[in-house]
Amino acid sequence: MAIKSNNLSFQYEDIPILENVSFVIAMGEFVGVFGPNGGGKTTLLKLLLGFLKPQKGSVEILGESPKAARGKMGYVPQISHLDRQFPITVLEVVMMGCLDRSPWHSYTKDAKEKAREALKDVDMLDFQNYSFGTLSGGQAQRVLIARALVSKPSILLLDEPTASVDAAAEESIYKLLHHLKGTMTIVMVTHDLQVMMQQVDRFICVHKEVTSYSQAQVCDHFAQGLYHPPLRRS
Amino acid sequence: MSFLAGIAASITSGIVGSYVVAKRIVFISGSIAHSVLGGMGIFLWMKRTYDISWMNPLHGALIAAILSAFLIGWIHLKHKQREDTVIAAIWSTGMAIGVIFVSLTPGYNVELMNFLFGNILWTSTSDLILLISLAGLIVLATMIFHAKFQAVCFDENQAQLKGISVTKYYLFLLVLVAISVVILIQVVGAILIIAMLAIPAAIAGSFSPRLSKMMGWAVILGCLFTTVGLILSYFVNWPPGATIALTAAAFYLLNLARDYKAT
Repeated sequence: MAIKSNNLSFQYEDIPILENVSFVIAMGEFVGVFGPNGGGKTTLLKLLLGFLKPQKGSVEILGESPKAARGKMGYVPQISHLDRQFPITVLEVVMMGCLDRSPWHSYTKDAKEKAREALKDVDMLDFQNYSFGTLSGGQAQRVLIARALVSKPSILLLDEPTASVDAAAEESIYKLLHHLKGTMTIVMVTHDLQVMMQQVDRFICVHKEVTSYSQAQVCDHFAQGLYHPPLRRS
Repeated sequence: MSFLAGIAASITSGIVGSYVVAKRIVFISGSIAHSVLGGMGIFLWMKRTYDISWMNPLHGALIAAILSAFLIGWIHLKHKQREDTVIAAIWSTGMAIGVIFVSLTPGYNVELMNFLFGNILWTSTSDLILLISLAGLIVLATMIFHAKFQAVCFDENQAQLKGISVTKYYLFLLVLVAISVVILIQVVGAILIIAMLAIPAAIAGSFSPRLSKMMGWAVILGCLFTTVGLILSYFVNWPPGATIALTAAAFYLLNLARDYKAT
């Protein structure tokens, strides 16, 4: 069991975002997380990563608390959440995946080589000395994926990785994820239901509560990227 | 003596200013700078009123700076939505307290003028030793913790994921800003501190996409501005702090024009 949530509840300044959420994600599963905006998708991801603490309930990552298991998780945020004007190179961004928490070491051993290898895997090695801000949306997103992968995580969490990205880059990102499928547990927040239908093992809908669906369970509109309640095939 | 003070100040402003510009906390730095008058005023008033010779307004400044840094840092980490207004409140409150205490202090107060406009020409040896020690502290802290400061400035979530305490390092950075503020107030005064903190780093940003290289350039530029500014102020008999700031601003505009022509 890779991820387990037990009666998770979270509110932000008296507004309930998630209520009594319980689900399990098995090792090696590829799960797509979808739902309306404001429904709690990003909040759920942040609770799994340990960035937020739930008011009620708990999260177990590989049997431990999110804080204890954070070394085994990789996180790919949306590029729109980062400052593109910040003076940092592509290589430096990926090296952030090898940061050492001890005060006396900046990075873990062989950080530069590992970072270069990760950039090669996402086809961005040629850009290593470019300023991160000069990259296109798709290129930047691939760099963030490299950053998440460089520490060889068991669980990869992605927040809408194709949101600000052109069609060609989107395709290369899906190819990359398909390649990773099965080697690690992948949880991906997405609005792109049509494409994800072919990739994921299972869908999770987050709308204050969480419900799980397999491809066979959802109605035909779902496959076309439209969804409406009820989601299940009647 | 003044040139050395200028160089110590430039090293400080180049390094810390780069973090400030990159993380976009120039407003916060301005708030710390102006709230420092509160600490200075209180110490000055106690020194003169009760005739305590060992009290140094500079120590009051340092205490006030670090206190504001902690307050602002706490608000940023716990109540981000109220950040702007709290920063403005600290700015004005600190300044107001300082003005009141200075007005209550007996005797003629050259300290207020020095605080507002700097007193680089009157830097004593003990002042210089303090400046150089503080600058050395900042260089050391940066050499050891740069990767972590950079991580906290660029992506707090990733830093947290890697087990780096965002709270500790962000507050540490603000304390470095507070220390830099106290150093820079000596040179250009509180009113123009933003010029020394932001302008060299802002120009340096267009020379290099790497934060560490940007710092190097910012230090060099800072030294250039203080040296040229000091020499210029001697010849035209202008206040040195303001001349330094004007030199910096002139170069900033030149660089802007160069950037504009290139695009």
